[in-house]
Amino acid sequence: MPGRLRRLLDARFDAWAHRRTPGSLPVRFDRHRIYVLPTRFGLFFAVLLLTMGLGALNYNNNPALLLCLLLAGAGIASLLQAQLQLSGLEVLSIGAEPVPAGAPLRLRVHARAAPGRERRGLRVACAGRAATLSLDDGAGEADLALPTTIRGWLQPGRLQISTTRPLGLARAWAYVWPDAPLLVYPAPEPSGPPLPEGQGEHAQSRVAPSGDDVHHLREWHRGDSLRAVAWKASARRDALLVREFEQAVGSDIVLDWQALRTLGYEHRIRRLARWVDEAERGSRRYRLCLPGQAVLGPSHGAAHRHACLRALALLPQEERPHGTR
Amino acid sequence: MARAEPRPLDRGSRAWALAAVAACLLPLLPQLPASLGLGCVGVGALVALASRHRPLPGWLRAVLALALVGTVLSMSRFSLGRDTACALLAAMLALKPAELVTLRDARSLVGFALFAPFSTFLLDQGPLSLVLGLVGAVVALAALAQLSEYESQGSQPLPARARLAGVGRLLLVGLPLALAAFWLFPRLGSPLWGVPERALARPGLSDEMSPGEWLDLMNDDRPALRVSFYGDPPPQSQMYWRGPVLMDYDGRSWTRSRSLGMLPAPASTRTTTRWDYEMVVEPSDRSSLVALELPDAVPAGAQLGWDYSLHSRTPLTSVTRWRLQASPPLSLEPQLPSFVRERALRLPAGFNPRTVALGQAWRRELGPAGDAAIVDRAMAMIRAEFGYTLSTPLPGRHSADEFLFDWKQGFCEHFSSAFVILMRAAGIPSRVVTGYAGGYRNPFGGYWIVRNQDAHAWAEVWLDGRGWVRADPTAAVAPERIYDTIDDRAAAGGFGALPGVAPILDVGDWLRRGWNDLVLGFDASRQMALLRPLGLGGTGMRGLIALFAACAVLALAWMLWLTARAGRERDTVLAAWRRQGARYARLGLGRARHEPALQWAQRVASARPADAAALLALSARFEDWRYARPRDGADARALARDLRRHRPARNARPESMP
Repeated sequence: MPGRLRRLLDARFDAWAHRRTPGSLPVRFDRHRIYVLPTRFGLFFAVLLLTMGLGALNYNNNPALLLCLLLAGAGIASLLQAQLQLSGLEVLSIGAEPVPAGAPLRLRVHARAAPGRERRGLRVACAGRAATLSLDDGAGEADLALPTTIRGWLQPGRLQISTTRPLGLARAWAYVWPDAPLLVYPAPEPSGPPLPEGQGEHAQSRVAPSGDDVHHLREWHRGDSLRAVAWKASARRDALLVREFEQAVGSDIVLDWQALRTLGYEHRIRRLARWVDEAERGSRRYRLCLPGQAVLGPSHGAAHRHACLRALALLPQEERPHGTR
Repeated sequence: MARAEPRPLDRGSRAWALAAVAACLLPLLPQLPASLGLGCVGVGALVALASRHRPLPGWLRAVLALALVGTVLSMSRFSLGRDTACALLAAMLALKPAELVTLRDARSLVGFALFAPFSTFLLDQGPLSLVLGLVGAVVALAALAQLSEYESQGSQPLPARARLAGVGRLLLVGLPLALAAFWLFPRLGSPLWGVPERALARPGLSDEMSPGEWLDLMNDDRPALRVSFYGDPPPQSQMYWRGPVLMDYDGRSWTRSRSLGMLPAPASTRTTTRWDYEMVVEPSDRSSLVALELPDAVPAGAQLGWDYSLHSRTPLTSVTRWRLQASPPLSLEPQLPSFVRERALRLPAGFNPRTVALGQAWRRELGPAGDAAIVDRAMAMIRAEFGYTLSTPLPGRHSADEFLFDWKQGFCEHFSSAFVILMRAAGIPSRVVTGYAGGYRNPFGGYWIVRNQDAHAWAEVWLDGRGWVRADPTAAVAPERIYDTIDDRAAAGGFGALPGVAPILDVGDWLRRGWNDLVLGFDASRQMALLRPLGLGGTGMRGLIALFAACAVLALAWMLWLTARAGRERDTVLAAWRRQGARYARLGLGRARHEPALQWAQRVASARPADAAALLALSARFEDWRYARPRDGADARALARDLRRHRPARNARPESMP
């Protein structure tokens, strides 16, 4: 029960805080957005100082009182300084590359501030995960690994950026909400049958990362195998180049939802996701046919892969099965 | 927020936490008995070393704790006083690093360590303690900063100097608020609960005088009081600071009579001489006060005893301030009640037979009306045959006999004690009076310093028709030892004897007095006195609270201003340019964020022709400065100045407005 109550209160607070400070990224933290409260140790420290102060007042012991007041003054100043650490900080973007469900989603928080003030060791927390944000020369980035479980849109909820510096007596924090939900691809099945070949209409030659004849050189992209790099040519051009080969293949690949009717709903999605990846790895042109949607492709490349996996990820959840068995 | 698992401390944070404990303990250690202080240092160092890799096992910690508590208690003879409590605190702090594992441990350790300087100040408020205490607090705050940095990880550790500088900045920002609270936060007129006494007393005047006890006092050259006179001070040889009167003698010690304590102060008549002065008393942990001769009125917070001595209602644990009027007596208690007389004649049986015999012989010789003559004869004898020395052996059973007939040398304690015993044997009511005699006038500030070594004991004899009369046998022998002069001090040797040092010491004491005035001796009455020149004297507590609130708000505003300042534009030209924009924004002509400077200026110029020329020129210069030319210091300064000076013309209304 306390857990539920807590969640309820949390949700209420979240809604309230969100209403209070609407706005889309980039967000600049000002005093309306920054909250400051003493930490547990801060409360302990306050009690300690109160005890000291009361004793000093009672005994009219001035050095003791002065010591106590100096410490209190420094404590209050540290509250202000904690707030200062966040004030003026600008969160420019929050985003993540989509990952298959089950893999950690690397949430990147990019922040900026006017240089001149030391802003180090800011804690960025979201959904129980935390990372450290330190600004160097006015800009910094935090990488937050969020766990993912299911495909589809992931709403990470509010991000808390906080600090307990300089003395650990108070925590200053501010909330920021990601503009858009984050996409989680379906997890591909670990193993299964190979790509369904030979369903396309016409044979064609295609470019592949391995094969017999070098077709041409192109610039290196993320994901290219190092083995494919043409080192000599790269050295001449001062940029990484990759060999592409020409290979005769049968035809486009058709990844058809209807053809997999023997499998379960989620299993179909996971197999299609694996096939998309495999086709992409083999630089094959492929098309994806999903029920009730326009056929995607045939094509290949990062954009096409994203479109296909996105379509798979956003298929409705299993409760309302779509399509026929 | 997910709470982080307790993380073991890294070496740097551990070192800082330990340094904080050491720095906080440092001021406390000299206040403890030397063996205990050294013991704490030893235990602390051993424990810190032994628990370097893992905490000490629980049973060992318990054994150590019990052993330390036992040692402390047995050293203070199982009496729980303020110093015992402080010693216990020191011992526990020395032991606490044994369980220093997590961040939380380190934080609570540093928090508790802050009690060490605090308790130091309960024992001692000397300059050394103050400086060491402040250092301890700074190091503790720096340790907290380190711990907080460790908690948030993420960056390489700061060098110690940078961290201390950061802590210094925090203290500085908080200082105005602290000072406002210090001077203006309403003080308690009387304490809510009593101050626990010390188990082991410091040397000072007390209600008792035992052989040898005064030697500590006579060798202590710390100030006991500082006195400023309003009007003429008495001549130095008449400065008798009268304190507790000791009536009862048990053969060894003189004590202030407890059974007479309930009596009211006796009748007295005074001479026309009056001294008006303010006396700042150093803390002594006792309650006896002294007054020049006899006080006229009883100051608040003190009470007058049956012996006309003043006692504070609370122990003098901190610097206190007393405004007194006093005058020498014409007669004190001319009618002696019979039971007081009986007490003033009582001698324990079986002590000092030779002295008693001498007194009785004198009485027989000089007759029943020869009181004054007996006193004179005793003084004459002492003047003729006796000498002054601080190096005396400890007396045996018959201390007055040994002094009067064997040693014939001693100091005020011996003189006064033997003299009173002799007088009582001769049937003259008499008693020992303790206090201070003399003083030293500091040429800086023109006030008088009375030191512990000026402590003195003399006698009072009761003579028919005159009441109690002072008789000082020591003064008959060695007046120079009593009426202190700077030459005597120089002749006595020591540091002050070096040429040119005396003025430095004088200035030092004068500074110390100022510190006493403003900080140490500050209390409720002083606080009210502070209000008077502000015209708030009559408003009392309410005025004080209002003033405190006002000052606290001001101090907070100062802190906030510092906060805001840290985020302001550092470039003067940009700052001036933005302020300039804000001025036009108030007229409804603010610059949009996307709007280039010149475009905006043209928009304003068309709306307000009066400003057109100046603003266009300024904007052109600004654009030039910002985007075209390399930045030049003098140029930028001139531009910033012109931007600051420029104001939208007052009368020119925008044309769109009627």
